[in-house]
Amino acid sequence: MILHPAVLALLAASLTTGFMMLYAGWYGVQIVSRWDIRSGSELQLSLERRTYLISTILSYVLVFQILSLFLFIYTADHLHTLFAGAMCAAGTLNANGYGYPLLVMKIVNFLLAGLWLIVNHADTRGYDYPLIKVKYTLLLAMAPLVLLELFLQFGYFTGLHADVITSCCGSLFSQEKPGIGGDLALLPAKPMEAAFYAGMALTAAAGITFRRTGKGGWLFSAASTLTFAIAAASLVSFICLYFYELPTHHCPFCILQKEYGHVGYALYATLLGGGVTGLATGALMPLRNRGSMARIIPPLQRRLAAVTVLLYLLFTLIVACRMLFSPFRIGG
Amino acid sequence: MNRTIERHRHIIDFALSSLLRRKGKNLSLLAVYVLIVFMIGSVMFFIQALKREAALILQGAPDMVVQRLVAGRQDLIPVGYGDKIGAIRGVSGVRPRLWGYYYDPAVGANYTLMAADGDRQAPGTAVIGSGVAATRRLAQGDFLTLRDYSGEPVLLEVAGIMPYASDLVAADLIVMAESDLRALFNLPGGSATDLAVAVRNPRELATIAAKIARQFPDTRPILKSEILRTYDSIFDWRGGMVVVLLAVAVLSFVIFAWDKATGLSAEERKEIGILKSIGWETGDVLLLKFWEGTVISLSAFLAGVILAYGHLFFFSAPLFEHALKGWAVIYPRFRLTPAIDAYQLAVLFVLTVVPYTVATIIPSWQAATVDPDAAMRS
Amino acid sequence: MIELVQVSKSFNAGKANQFTAVREVSLAIAPGRVTVLKGPSGSGKTTLLTLIGCMARPTSGRIVLRGIAPASFAGPDGTGEIEITSLPERFLTGIRRTTFGFIFQQFNLVRGITVLENVMLPAYPTGEAHGSVRRRAMELLELFNVGRHASAPVDRLSGGEAQRVAIARALINDPAIVIADEPTAHLDTGLSREFMEIAGSFKAAGKTILIASHDPIVFDSPLADAVVEMRDGRVTRGGSAP
Repeated sequence: MILHPAVLALLAASLTTGFMMLYAGWYGVQIVSRWDIRSGSELQLSLERRTYLISTILSYVLVFQILSLFLFIYTADHLHTLFAGAMCAAGTLNANGYGYPLLVMKIVNFLLAGLWLIVNHADTRGYDYPLIKVKYTLLLAMAPLVLLELFLQFGYFTGLHADVITSCCGSLFSQEKPGIGGDLALLPAKPMEAAFYAGMALTAAAGITFRRTGKGGWLFSAASTLTFAIAAASLVSFICLYFYELPTHHCPFCILQKEYGHVGYALYATLLGGGVTGLATGALMPLRNRGSMARIIPPLQRRLAAVTVLLYLLFTLIVACRMLFSPFRIGG
Repeated sequence: MNRTIERHRHIIDFALSSLLRRKGKNLSLLAVYVLIVFMIGSVMFFIQALKREAALILQGAPDMVVQRLVAGRQDLIPVGYGDKIGAIRGVSGVRPRLWGYYYDPAVGANYTLMAADGDRQAPGTAVIGSGVAATRRLAQGDFLTLRDYSGEPVLLEVAGIMPYASDLVAADLIVMAESDLRALFNLPGGSATDLAVAVRNPRELATIAAKIARQFPDTRPILKSEILRTYDSIFDWRGGMVVVLLAVAVLSFVIFAWDKATGLSAEERKEIGILKSIGWETGDVLLLKFWEGTVISLSAFLAGVILAYGHLFFFSAPLFEHALKGWAVIYPRFRLTPAIDAYQLAVLFVLTVVPYTVATIIPSWQAATVDPDAAMRS
Repeated sequence: MIELVQVSKSFNAGKANQFTAVREVSLAIAPGRVTVLKGPSGSGKTTLLTLIGCMARPTSGRIVLRGIAPASFAGPDGTGEIEITSLPERFLTGIRRTTFGFIFQQFNLVRGITVLENVMLPAYPTGEAHGSVRRRAMELLELFNVGRHASAPVDRLSGGEAQRVAIARALINDPAIVIADEPTAHLDTGLSREFMEIAGSFKAAGKTILIASHDPIVFDSPLADAVVEMRDGRVTRGGSAP
């Protein structure tokens, strides 16, 4: 195993998050089974007090997830010099079979934690904690996913041995190689461009409609989530090409490096942020008719929709500017 | 929005006054916290600086070095190989290098002896590194005595001492004429220790290395990138080892922080009860505790980083240098150049502030859920 | 108006030291009047005050607030009638902060900070601008003749001065209801009468006053509009029918 301090930091942080989720999950079970808002008994009071702790823990979990996601990518990038044939984070992640699943898990957990906090925010505004059981069931679903991430992370780092020959992102993301990296690059650029802009436009339109009239929430959420996937695929398929000005360099991690002005951070921050808020809008839809939520959730959803549209707009702007002003053009 | 900012501002205000009211407890916590950040920070910055130095120095190293292996060990390589390698397409030049190690029993140190290029060094003279000069107490004009392969003494006049600035590579170095070196070690003519190969297009390095290995199966081409990788690994590993050892310290710190946080004095408990009875929610008290923790963390982090920086770059890390530089008799003295970036700070943050924060989550919550009617009954 | 219906409060339920402080109390507190809770110590007065003042939740029974709609809080059905029994702590505290002002028996001022800060404390979490809170706090301190102590630490005040500071603190959020628990316990006769005059001025300002006391100066005062007697957690006289 590579005993780099950053690796130790990531493992320690993961372990801590895992324990916190287990602790939260344990109390989550109690809350789901014994909660009764109408009772003034001491058990109920102590459960209510306990929910403050769980919310605090989940807030910290979200912050740690964000931190560790970016730290993880940066570390993978940093360590690429230890692997022959690896030019950036993509090569490091490919060094063993755990790398990419781990990245996917980290993103999933980040999205879920963000979702939980938004649902929690809605719940605390209601007079009778109407979403309490929903929240804690979601928590119980998240706990095993966090533990899975922990397991993958340990597997990944203990399986990392320097000097292992990996395929550099050039060959990983090139057209010929099979496997997910290759598939994404295979998506032809022009249609992807069209799909990307269409997805963004649809999301923006649905979002503005929803914000004005309150109708079409499901459509908006579906559009934003679909656009999230399209944008992620587009990053590999054609967006990166404009930043690197090379028709064959498809790696989505090199844009995080200094040479490209760390623009990758801006792109990922806006995309991930918009992804969470768009997803949350949809998740809140079925909860609208629970008691006091009828007055709390719609305004909250409107705000989330606005945030999503704004973030996606920013993302599109960065991409479009680059596409317009770069001398590079995709041939064909 | 304004309301939220004002709320935070007020609570930060109260958090600061609250911290100042319990100076003893908070100062002792701060002291330990700063120590932890300082120790881990020193280690991390040191490793980073070493890696940077190694990379900088290796910039001048040849892209590829070809060694010959006999029975798995390095042996002399015929210069004739070099001529043939020079004919490979893409190779721009081959330079045979002649060098070796010399063990000096008087001081128990190993010197690196190197043949100067061409006629740069007159026979009978040598340029030595400052480490050699120091251990053998030699000045310019003195004579350096070495023993050759048969035990006969060989005298070399010290023509110069390498500057201190080159210590990292040259502390134990002795540069002499090629004829002197061959005579000292009884090296046959037409042989070299290894061949330095320069290549026109760096992307072809791997391909050319493969060709050389195929053409001369008894050789081992080593790429500069591989050397860099190995150095990085070693330094990372060393750094990691020390961090693992410091994990015990971090754990103790976490327990200490937990203890401080849970140990609410009766006075503190009463104060929180009062706050809650006059209209502060649990969320407000949690925010108060959060800001208290943040103020302490940020102060400790800042102070620890500054102290680590000073320890390292003004005093060259006397506390850790032996563990991190490796064991040797002649240590190069060198001043490290500062190399701290946001990434380092982020990792340091995760290793120090995160454990502290996690340790205080539950105690903060316990403090915040003090019942207000406890205040009524005092 | 505050209405209590069959309210009970027990502590340590199910354990050996279970203790019921308030038993099936039904009570109606009229708005704009001074109501005094009278009874010996241990009769449950203090607990009842914490229940009315949204500081604790009853173990059983209902408490309803009528005609009291703090600006930042709208009732679930907008009628201005709020049942606070099963409100989560967040909302309870919100109501308490804006509707109730507490004066404690022990004054409960925070030691180590100035008088002015103490008075401003209840307004901190509301996010109101610092300047306006400070102004109001100074006005209140002047009103009760303790303005000159504004920057002094609270430890140096005399009993009477501390109580005035406590009163000023209770009024910082301009509450509609003022609750005082044994306010005259640490005061001599002169200061006690002064306190009742201050209470009268609140009433004149339209506030509802609720005082728990076993001091005759309080419950025999002409200002007391209603006297509720309590013993062993029950109301013995002055309560409303369940």
